[in-house]
Amino acid sequence: MSWVTLTIDGQTIQVEEGKTVLEVARENGIHIPTLCYHPALEPYGACRLCVVEIIRKGWSSLHTACTHPAWDGLEVKTNSPLVRDVRKTIMGLLLSRCPNVPIIQELAAEYGITAPPFPVEDPTENCILCGLCVRVCNDMVQAHVLNFSGRGVKRQVGPPFMEKTRQCIGCGACTSVCPTGAIEIVLEEAGVYQAKPLGPTAAIYVPTLQAVPRVPVIDTDSCIRFRQQDRTNGAIADACGACQMLCEANAIDFDQEDEFLDLDVGAIVVATGFEMWDATKLSQYSYGKSPNIITGLEFERLSNAGGPTGGEILLADGRKPERVAVIHCVGSRDHNAHEYCSRICCMYSLKQAHLVRDKTGAEVYEFYMDMRAFGKGYEEFYERVQEEGVVMVRGRGAEVEVLPSGKLRVTGEDANLGKLVAADVDMVVLSTAIEAPHDASEVASLFGLGRTPDGFFAEAHPKLRPVETNTDGVFLAGCAQGPKDVPDTVAHAGAAASMALALLGKGEVTISPAIAYVDEQFCSACKTCISLCPYTAIGFVEADNVARVNEALCKGCGTCVATCPAGAITARHFTDAQILAQIEGLFRIPVIEIPNTQYPIPDTQLPPTKESNHER
Amino acid sequence: MPKIQSLEELRTLRAQLKQDIKARTETSTTITVGMGTCGIAAGAREVMQVFLDELATRAIDAHVVTTGCIGMCSKEPLVDIQQSDGPRITYGNVHPTMVPRIIEEHLIHGNTVQQWVVGQLA
Amino acid sequence: MAELYRADVLVSCLHGRSPELVSALKQELDRRGLAGEVKVVETGCRGFCTMGPVLTIQPNGIFYTDVQLADVPEIVEETLVKGRAVQRLLYKEPATRKVIPNYDAIPFYSKQMRIVLRNCGMIDPQSIDEYIAVGGYEALGKVLSSMTPEQVIAEVQKSGLRGRGGAGFATGRKWEHTRKAAGEVKYVIANGDEGDPGAFMDRALMEGDPYAVLEGLTIGGFAVGTQQGYIYVRDEYPLAVQNLRSAIDRAHEYGLLGSDVLGSGFDFDIRIVRGAGAFVCGESSALMQSLEGKVGEPRAKHVHATDRGLWDRPSCLNNVETWANIPPIMNKGGEWFASIGTERSKGTKAFCLVGKVRNPGLIEVPMGITLREIVDDIGGGPPKGREIKAVQTGGPSGGCIPASMLDLPVDYESLTEAGSMMGSGGMIVMDDRTCMVDIARYFIDFLKDESCGKCSTCREGIKRMLEILTNISAGLGKPGDIEVLESLAKTVQLASLCGLGKSAPNPVLSTLHYFREEYEKHIAEQFCPAGVCRALIAYQVVAEKCKGCGLCIKACPQEGISGTARQPHAIDQVKCIQCGACFEVCRLDAIQVVPRSAVTVGSNGGNGYKPVREVVR
Repeated sequence: MSWVTLTIDGQTIQVEEGKTVLEVARENGIHIPTLCYHPALEPYGACRLCVVEIIRKGWSSLHTACTHPAWDGLEVKTNSPLVRDVRKTIMGLLLSRCPNVPIIQELAAEYGITAPPFPVEDPTENCILCGLCVRVCNDMVQAHVLNFSGRGVKRQVGPPFMEKTRQCIGCGACTSVCPTGAIEIVLEEAGVYQAKPLGPTAAIYVPTLQAVPRVPVIDTDSCIRFRQQDRTNGAIADACGACQMLCEANAIDFDQEDEFLDLDVGAIVVATGFEMWDATKLSQYSYGKSPNIITGLEFERLSNAGGPTGGEILLADGRKPERVAVIHCVGSRDHNAHEYCSRICCMYSLKQAHLVRDKTGAEVYEFYMDMRAFGKGYEEFYERVQEEGVVMVRGRGAEVEVLPSGKLRVTGEDANLGKLVAADVDMVVLSTAIEAPHDASEVASLFGLGRTPDGFFAEAHPKLRPVETNTDGVFLAGCAQGPKDVPDTVAHAGAAASMALALLGKGEVTISPAIAYVDEQFCSACKTCISLCPYTAIGFVEADNVARVNEALCKGCGTCVATCPAGAITARHFTDAQILAQIEGLFRIPVIEIPNTQYPIPDTQLPPTKESNHER
Repeated sequence: MPKIQSLEELRTLRAQLKQDIKARTETSTTITVGMGTCGIAAGAREVMQVFLDELATRAIDAHVVTTGCIGMCSKEPLVDIQQSDGPRITYGNVHPTMVPRIIEEHLIHGNTVQQWVVGQLA
Repeated sequence: MAELYRADVLVSCLHGRSPELVSALKQELDRRGLAGEVKVVETGCRGFCTMGPVLTIQPNGIFYTDVQLADVPEIVEETLVKGRAVQRLLYKEPATRKVIPNYDAIPFYSKQMRIVLRNCGMIDPQSIDEYIAVGGYEALGKVLSSMTPEQVIAEVQKSGLRGRGGAGFATGRKWEHTRKAAGEVKYVIANGDEGDPGAFMDRALMEGDPYAVLEGLTIGGFAVGTQQGYIYVRDEYPLAVQNLRSAIDRAHEYGLLGSDVLGSGFDFDIRIVRGAGAFVCGESSALMQSLEGKVGEPRAKHVHATDRGLWDRPSCLNNVETWANIPPIMNKGGEWFASIGTERSKGTKAFCLVGKVRNPGLIEVPMGITLREIVDDIGGGPPKGREIKAVQTGGPSGGCIPASMLDLPVDYESLTEAGSMMGSGGMIVMDDRTCMVDIARYFIDFLKDESCGKCSTCREGIKRMLEILTNISAGLGKPGDIEVLESLAKTVQLASLCGLGKSAPNPVLSTLHYFREEYEKHIAEQFCPAGVCRALIAYQVVAEKCKGCGLCIKACPQEGISGTARQPHAIDQVKCIQCGACFEVCRLDAIQVVPRSAVTVGSNGGNGYKPVREVVR
């Protein structure tokens, strides 16, 4: 790589060859205005705003800094009177085209233009035809949806024939590069909106904003490059790559793949959590029919300072809500959904009511069946929220209706009044149930866990062993075991950790001697025992073609012993011979003939006689 | 059409093709055939055709043009031959069979066929 | 052995009624039994466009103009049978009415020098045989058999040939750059995307002598070291495409294209790419984009196309006229070519002479000839009673040169200095009935649609210039408009991306430079002295001159002129639409153009106007 020296505004700069004048200027803190430039895209030279005076070999001429290579010996003037003059005319032209675009107004004002110098044809025109959207759509996304049509004054940007096209993948790249905000993406299918009710995130994002380190991830289902790779079965992967191109730390690696780690551990804590119940399953709540009907979790995102609105509670159109309804027990305590109580909804609903009151001053209606404020300080909080003016309606919210005006009508029975009540509100928050993850059964079979009828993992004993499972060394923590609020989860998790540590601290495990063993001589390798063992204690040894019992896992339940068709499995200390001997021993007890005395022997204590045995 | 393989072949081809555009190129000789009604009736067309054929086969640079009646109808077909700066020789009662000899002697060897000449313009 | 014909009838102007003329001629010859003696040849343009269709009969050299179908039997009878010229069809000099029977003697041709157009109108463009017969491919044969690429380039450099597309870059240097550029694959490209309104030199050449373009391109391909050539032709030229296509096919058959050209081992092929007729595709980078199959839009050209052009490979792009100049240069040598023309502009240039001259048409003149010679001698001067006001060269992006500078020699530098340019060869002559504001408006209006619209200065700037010019010609001009126009023009010129944008303000700048007072009159006095901008003018009868002949009454489409015979007539200003028909027909100069403000519309019964004397300033 060779080096070149050039002068920009009197400043002598040495740079690597191959850069443009604009890049060099910006790297050195010299401001050159641009509209059609984007560092991730090929320079285009359409807006002409970055014109600079370039003096080369004694010849001075105007060039666009974005396209002109930084050659050795160039003398560049970025702000000469001529340059300012030309830029001023350009801004006048652009402002007359797009009089109501803030960035154009600002740039024009920089050059002393406050009003369009030429007649304005269309005050709603926002597009300056800079071609950024066209370039990003064709060069990066490779969706080839947008392009120019017409020439001269008839030039315009759009999809082919200005018609809707299925080619558009709705990636939003065009809107994000558009300098004037002239492109709006209209999502037509309700499903698309539903998936991202609170505004789209990019395909690369920081999943947990407060996490340390704050590492972003690529959503391969949304990433243009990965999608292209999928589409072409891995043959082509050259689309976009903007993140890689712009990352100064060179931290983007498209070749990274999911890894499977094999770890040898002494204990396992299953903390697989919960999933939010899908509110569309109860159609009366109209979830998905209006962007202002949201779930409690979506409300949390909305009110999060790192969220799409910066923590402001706003409706989809950007207005502040004036009335908000919160409906409890959506999916909980419901024979049509989950019968159990999700335990956390009452308190988070109250908190959200408090937040709405606090942040927007809107009226809040809480539709509840019973208020389960069972924890420490919870009842006091309930009192406080009531004092804040939240209207409590005792009765399940029955229906949410989207009115033609866009308002939402919530109806329900107020059990206290014995009347049907309705409230027209701007926003409805559904306190949806929490439920076991959809893949809980796979996890259960992997660890040999049982599940309670509600779908959560079964603990070894509901009262006395709430963190242990029937599999030794596997413990449960948090909502994997059942709905819990934060303090309960913390306590539960602490207990699980302690149990695990107690196990590990001993360094060894004590097992019961009464366990099964396989007589390999007789094992027919039918594997029946393996599938039946509730503790996954039997493995199959391919090399010897026999089943073998893991003695650390076996609980000596005897299922395998009873099942083995070949009779190859025996329970230690509980062998057939031992049992038979015991029976034998029973029968060897002599019949004691005792005459009728004062203390008659009860029947049950007497060994059965041969006859009586027969009767049984 | 076989491909032209060299500049020489091109030049040979050109020499042949020049015949095609003979009428458009400068030549030193003009043969004028009287093609008035009298001439045609006396067989001037056949004479002219033989002239064209002979010129083509011998590759002689000459233009053949026609003219109307010049008033000497009894001597038709009349054929005038003018070579660059030379005199204009008029042959009379030309018969197709006479054409090869006129070409041979007059055009190639430059000798007027005196016995058939009916007039001469300096 | 080919058959010998005694006469060739060359029929030109195949764009007019000539196809019917050709078949009528053939029929008539057949009927008279002359088909074997007389050959009918369809040729390209002879350039004498006002006189078309023209017929040339060889070897007599008789030149017939404006031939109609009805004339065919007479031509056959008189000329082809009896050898006499049909007097009434011969060319007559407009001024003297003198009959000129032969082609060479017509002044329109006698002042010209035809190098590029040497075969146009002389041979059948579809026949490779005729091209070879007139000496075609001799140059290629010479180059391939006895010259190195370096020698070819040196010869072109010696000739001083410069690009005929307009910019005038030295052709030899361009070839040398391309040859020296790094890269295995290179291209030579012929630009046949002629788009200037009223210009058709390239079309005439591609239609009339396609082999000359192919031969030039092949020599160029050999010189710069490539196997692939492209000809970019607009699809609005179907005959050019057709003739070029058949020429490429024939050349392949003859071994003059394809592998092993003329047995020399040199492989070369040519492809025709048809453009969709966008004016901007004549710009080199836009042309290459279009060739690549993309939208024809210029790119920033900091790196020359000779280093990175078509598909980012070294490309040598020349106008078709430039390419057609190559075979004669190779045949006769660079020095011969350099002996024609001026110090810095060598050879000849083809122009399309149009506008207010008596003999508009396609001409080819040696460089350095004055505009006056072209306009007066070749063009025959302005129509009767008119005066030349300006000559516009260089197409829409060129400029207007005032009549006072008619002695300007036609070469690259002089034209550029005068605020115009050589361009591809449009030349529009304007007389005193041409309004310079209107002319500027016309060209800017053309460019408004033909700018690609990529860069903001060109797209928006042209639009705004047009707005102002339209306002001025509609009588809505304001003081200060001229200054705004100037500053807009300056920005568009300095800051636009490509040649189209950079030269787009030329019509405005050159008319402003030479005819500023005309603009000022439009704005300050609300008057168009040329009588073109209808919103600013009125027609009035000069009572003293009017003899009451009634010609104007008949001419008026609005029935707006009244008067009795032998009494001065009067124009009803309410009905008048300023069409100028009365002005055109009046033989006594009794109709006068006056500012609109000088007439009172509708007062005094709608028929009595202010006496003329008060109006004339």
